[in-house]
Amino acid sequence: MAVVGRRFSRLSLPAKLFAVGLPVLLVAGILTVAVLILALPLVVSAAEDNLPLVRFLVAVVAVLLLTVPTAFLVIYLELKLIARMNLRIGPDRVGPFGAAQSVIHGLKVLTKEDFTPSGADRLVFTWAPVVVFMATVMTLLVIPFAPGLFGTDFNIGLLYVFAIGGLTIVGLLMAGWASFNKYSLLGGLRSAAQAISYEIPLSLSVVGVVILAGTLSLNQLVLNQAGSFLDWYVWQQPLGVLIFFIAAVAEANRTPFDLTEADSEIVAGFATEYSGMRFGFFFFAEYVNVFVVSALLVTLFFGGWTAPFDWPFPIEAPLDPGSLGITLLFLLAVVPVVATLLFALPFWLGRSSTPFWQALIIGFVIFNIVAVAAVLGWAFVSFDWVVGLLWFMAKSYVFVFVLVWMRATLPRVRVDQLMGFAWKWLLPAALLNLFVTASAVVILAELQ
Amino acid sequence: MTATRQPTDDSARYDIPAHASADDPRVLLEEQIGVYEPVPPFPPRTEREAEFYTVGDGEMLINIGPHHPSTHGVMRIVMKIDGEKVVDLDPVLGYLHRGVEKICENADFHQTITHLDPLEYVSSLFCEWPAVMAYEKLLDVEVPRRAEYIRVLSGELNRISSHALAIGFHALDLGGLTPILYSFIERDEIVEMLAALTGQRMLFNYFRIGGVNGDLNHEFMSRLGDWMSRATTEINANLGLLNENEIFVRRNRGLGTIDTETALRMCWTGPNLRATGLPFDLRRAHPYSVYPELDFDIPTRAEGDSLARYLLRVDEIKQSLRIIDQCLQQMPDGPVMAKLPRLLRPRPGRAWAGIEGPRGEYGVYAVSDGTDQPFRFRIHDPSFLHLQSFNLLIPGNLMADWMAVNASLDPIMGGVDK
Repeated sequence: MAVVGRRFSRLSLPAKLFAVGLPVLLVAGILTVAVLILALPLVVSAAEDNLPLVRFLVAVVAVLLLTVPTAFLVIYLELKLIARMNLRIGPDRVGPFGAAQSVIHGLKVLTKEDFTPSGADRLVFTWAPVVVFMATVMTLLVIPFAPGLFGTDFNIGLLYVFAIGGLTIVGLLMAGWASFNKYSLLGGLRSAAQAISYEIPLSLSVVGVVILAGTLSLNQLVLNQAGSFLDWYVWQQPLGVLIFFIAAVAEANRTPFDLTEADSEIVAGFATEYSGMRFGFFFFAEYVNVFVVSALLVTLFFGGWTAPFDWPFPIEAPLDPGSLGITLLFLLAVVPVVATLLFALPFWLGRSSTPFWQALIIGFVIFNIVAVAAVLGWAFVSFDWVVGLLWFMAKSYVFVFVLVWMRATLPRVRVDQLMGFAWKWLLPAALLNLFVTASAVVILAELQ
Repeated sequence: MTATRQPTDDSARYDIPAHASADDPRVLLEEQIGVYEPVPPFPPRTEREAEFYTVGDGEMLINIGPHHPSTHGVMRIVMKIDGEKVVDLDPVLGYLHRGVEKICENADFHQTITHLDPLEYVSSLFCEWPAVMAYEKLLDVEVPRRAEYIRVLSGELNRISSHALAIGFHALDLGGLTPILYSFIERDEIVEMLAALTGQRMLFNYFRIGGVNGDLNHEFMSRLGDWMSRATTEINANLGLLNENEIFVRRNRGLGTIDTETALRMCWTGPNLRATGLPFDLRRAHPYSVYPELDFDIPTRAEGDSLARYLLRVDEIKQSLRIIDQCLQQMPDGPVMAKLPRLLRPRPGRAWAGIEGPRGEYGVYAVSDGTDQPFRFRIHDPSFLHLQSFNLLIPGNLMADWMAVNASLDPIMGGVDK
């Protein structure tokens, strides 16, 4: 290796990473294997004893990890969609169609200075973004993404969502107070006022659904809506959907209710004095919140992970890879080679100018695409959680799109208009919805 | 801190040591760092200042600007607020003061035109226009009719671009992201067009004493024809986002209302005055250039609120399109510059010229003493006069309303601070 012969400082960055990373990885790998071999029986027995706890921990880690791609995706969608609606091009430098732009944004806030203004209440200032972020992430725990794919199944799931979601406001208020800045203070106060006003219609709007379903568990709510799209609660609760959507937009501090961070009025609201990753946490939380709002809307009113219609041609996939036994190993060894050659053949034969190695590369790429498609298709028909997840994500991102669309279109409302709308229109409408639903349920029960 | 505070402009006069020490009233001590109160002048120079900086119970002072996102430049407003409600406010101007009037008194007549361009940088042609008109009065020059038509044509284009920007920024200040970019479609096309005509995108420096600098050229005409065919559609597309938007309309209706008498007393002109119902337009009231030969209406609105000011600008864009159309049809052939000596020495005297710009009356008052430089040079700027009405329009409303009123008045700080 020529790498070894040179002085370390003269190496290029990949070579440095290689020279440092490979030994570290090797040692770490060996250590891990050793520990696993020694401690595996202990770990397995401990895990078996505390299965709910293990499940909970895994769910928490999964949900925390999920927030990163979710936030990146929503940020990218917002950048790109608003750009297209503004007749701009939007991000197009990093990654295909600029898709890695939000990742770069994330790296940028990581590397920026983490600044605390003099006069700030340091403890509160530091913890405010954490509170906001955690409150948002914890709501993801009870959302059923697919059959069997949820953090935990609370019997008071809906109540939990509102309780934890309300904590976001505490974080914003902390940030506004601790920043020692009048703009921040105004932003924090606005967020508190807004939250108190909109929590009430938000909570009341779903009581109709709860009366219909007779449960607060989000899983049970989704199961109640299984069937066709006619079974969704949106048809029985049209007013409830509308109120919930408006109030949820206000809860998520999105346009036209983004008064807490109104950039043309109070600069950046509660986030004025924040920089670096603390600022990043606020915005991670905001964009995850967009997804949470959409997911809740889908879960409560649009059937959650259930398909809107039954696929008319039921597909059976009797293929069980385990039953193939040693043949599976054989297939895994032979099929890639044969398929690559087969896919390469037309390119090699068809154009005399294509050298065989180019044809091989093309064939290999095509084989990979086909293989991934085949595996996904097999997973799709074999596991119903794949189908469920797909439907859930598709429905959720429709509403994410609507939220982004609103941001591109609507101006911001004024503080008094915001309050007036909540108390004069949304609250009476929510009460009316509740009254009509409850009456209908009682009357129908009497009739039967 | 306030007890020993001294005027801090000249250290020698007040025997302040050259190096800062803790005794120096200019040095912020550790416990004072982070107190970002707007510091009132000490002692207060006027009764009004003393009253304003006395903060009552539950009130606080907040600085808007000079680098706030929606101040349209570098205006600073010290606002006394009670919660979100504005109790009182005090505009602090001068952050963009460059002394243009004085500079112009030390430049010769041709050079002054260059200094006037950056005054209202979104409508530069209207800053040049009154100056060249005043000099032409001093020199008694007859401007060729083709030059006058070109002035009107380019001026109306500039008016459209300025109004388009005002509409876009109005929406941006209310939190709408898209209208400003749709406005820039119009503005960018017009700016490119005028760049083809004048050679500059922003500070055109196009009008000359006795004419204009250069005739219409092919690129300008082809761009203009291309744009005129689709202008109405594009402008209407943008307006659809605002006129039919309930949030936008509700935030502006009945806000910052002023009646005609008060507006006149506060020296308002232009669209802001016409939005109160008075059809006062210098193009008709004191006709200049070739405006008497052109057929256009003077739109007015009776309400006098922010929404009326916004809608009036929309109406004016449509009238400007009419004027441009007529200019293109009626434009005579001929020279675009009067024959003038290179060095201008007008007879001693004084001249005033005022024109109708996109924000109101732009005027220049020039006094000549017979040399090649103006002896005295004064600029009348409409934005400055509109800003002085803030105390009539804002107090009692919410903080966010200041942004809407400010955007609807459409001040440009380059012109305000001169």
